[in-house]
Amino acid sequence: MAVSMERFVLPGESLDAEYLPSHPTLPLKLGPGLRHIPPNTITPTVAGQLCSDKRKNAVWVEFNGGRYIPTVGDLVIATINRPSPEFYYASLSDYAPQATLPNLSFEGASRKTRPQLQPGALVYARVSLANKHMDPELECVSSSTGKSDGLGPLNGGMLFTISLGMARRLMLPRPAEQGRVVVLDEFGAAGVSFEIAVGRNGKLWVDSTSLKTTLAIGKAIQETDLKGLNPEEQKKLARKSMKDF
Amino acid sequence: MTISAEPSATLSHLYRADGSATFSQNGYTVIGAVNGPIEVQRRDELPEEAAVDVIVRPAAGVGGTRERHLESILQSTIRQIILIHNFPRTLIQITLQITSTPENDSASSKLVQASSNLPILPTLLQTTVLTLLSASIPLAMTLASISFAINSTGSSRKIIRNPTLEEFQAANSVHVLAFTSNGQLLVAESEGSFTLEVWDEVYEIGKDFCCDVTEPAGDDIMQQDGLDGNTGGMAFVRSTLEHKVSADLHWKD
Repeated sequence: MAVSMERFVLPGESLDAEYLPSHPTLPLKLGPGLRHIPPNTITPTVAGQLCSDKRKNAVWVEFNGGRYIPTVGDLVIATINRPSPEFYYASLSDYAPQATLPNLSFEGASRKTRPQLQPGALVYARVSLANKHMDPELECVSSSTGKSDGLGPLNGGMLFTISLGMARRLMLPRPAEQGRVVVLDEFGAAGVSFEIAVGRNGKLWVDSTSLKTTLAIGKAIQETDLKGLNPEEQKKLARKSMKDF
Repeated sequence: MTISAEPSATLSHLYRADGSATFSQNGYTVIGAVNGPIEVQRRDELPEEAAVDVIVRPAAGVGGTRERHLESILQSTIRQIILIHNFPRTLIQITLQITSTPENDSASSKLVQASSNLPILPTLLQTTVLTLLSASIPLAMTLASISFAINSTGSSRKIIRNPTLEEFQAANSVHVLAFTSNGQLLVAESEGSFTLEVWDEVYEIGKDFCCDVTEPAGDDIMQQDGLDGNTGGMAFVRSTLEHKVSADLHWKD
């Protein structure tokens, strides 16, 4: 990946043009942690590492956030709080304003056939609307194709809370190489079958054949996150927890 | 008990808060935690910006007017640095718990109760900034704060930077200043009798101290030196955060 020029930034610092990528045709894309003050000032809003991608002409700040702030296109795990005639009210993080999930935004849903979700049910959804003046809106179906693409209710399993940074690492295209999370590969290599879903809002859903395995995997990820384990330590941890199976 | 004037800080050590920091300086230690943006009570809701709630808890007993005064100074300061317009109708809640204050041998505890509110203000301000940075709440800028005690005997004047509590009580006037990372004055609280020249001098020294321009990142030796020397306020924030970010992003190449 053409990611280059990593530099530590604090909010309000001025960024020299040399840290911003330039591309002959593509417009500059600003990622999380940056803001544009018209006419031509770009400053960071959080403390983190400034990263840029020359090929995509994008620049962003890499940081481990505290609370999830909804952004359009993010895949999240939402907890259903209560139904209403048109929507389900769902929560993305504790004490934050509730998100709405329209009853009909599921694959193949119509007035007659739509999933009945109880309070406390989990759904894997995409943030379809995030606007600072409105509550966020979710969808479990791709609006262009009408397919669910793996989104929808999550049945069984358990939910674990992880840091936003860990969620980001797990959601990278190749978590083992890019994010240095090898603990899941280690479980998989040992023949443990399990299913996970990662929400950008710092939630991890794990399901497997037995409760013991589910707990072991969830706890292993949480420990990797909390203690900042390196690949060798993660392998050791995975082997240790598999002894109990 | 020896009191170190050197600041020290721990970041993101509270597990359940969105962001947290413990900061000690001049014998004061404060634990800060921030939650936000979260849902706000209807009566506190602001239609165009986030409500900022600051709670200061004293080391012993319950808060009184003294804490309310400090809260009001902190609240109006912090509103200037958080990008509150990005989070309308939400709440950003900052809790600051004072855990230790310098012991005072010369004065009885009763006198301390009646004494000035200012000695702890720089520590509270600095804790708040570190807490907000730890939570990655979008900020327009950072700030650094400093206190001064001024002893004038006749024509000679002695300016003490980051004074101890005794020096604070013996001084003719005390000043607390805070500057943003852009070098703008954000807080100016003074007590005692002083002239305008004295204030101007304090302003210049404070500005130099708070905004001392650090070397651009990559100059690691400079950063390390900065940690144990007589560091500027901004340099301390910078080195603390640099530590945290590199620990958070250990998985990156």
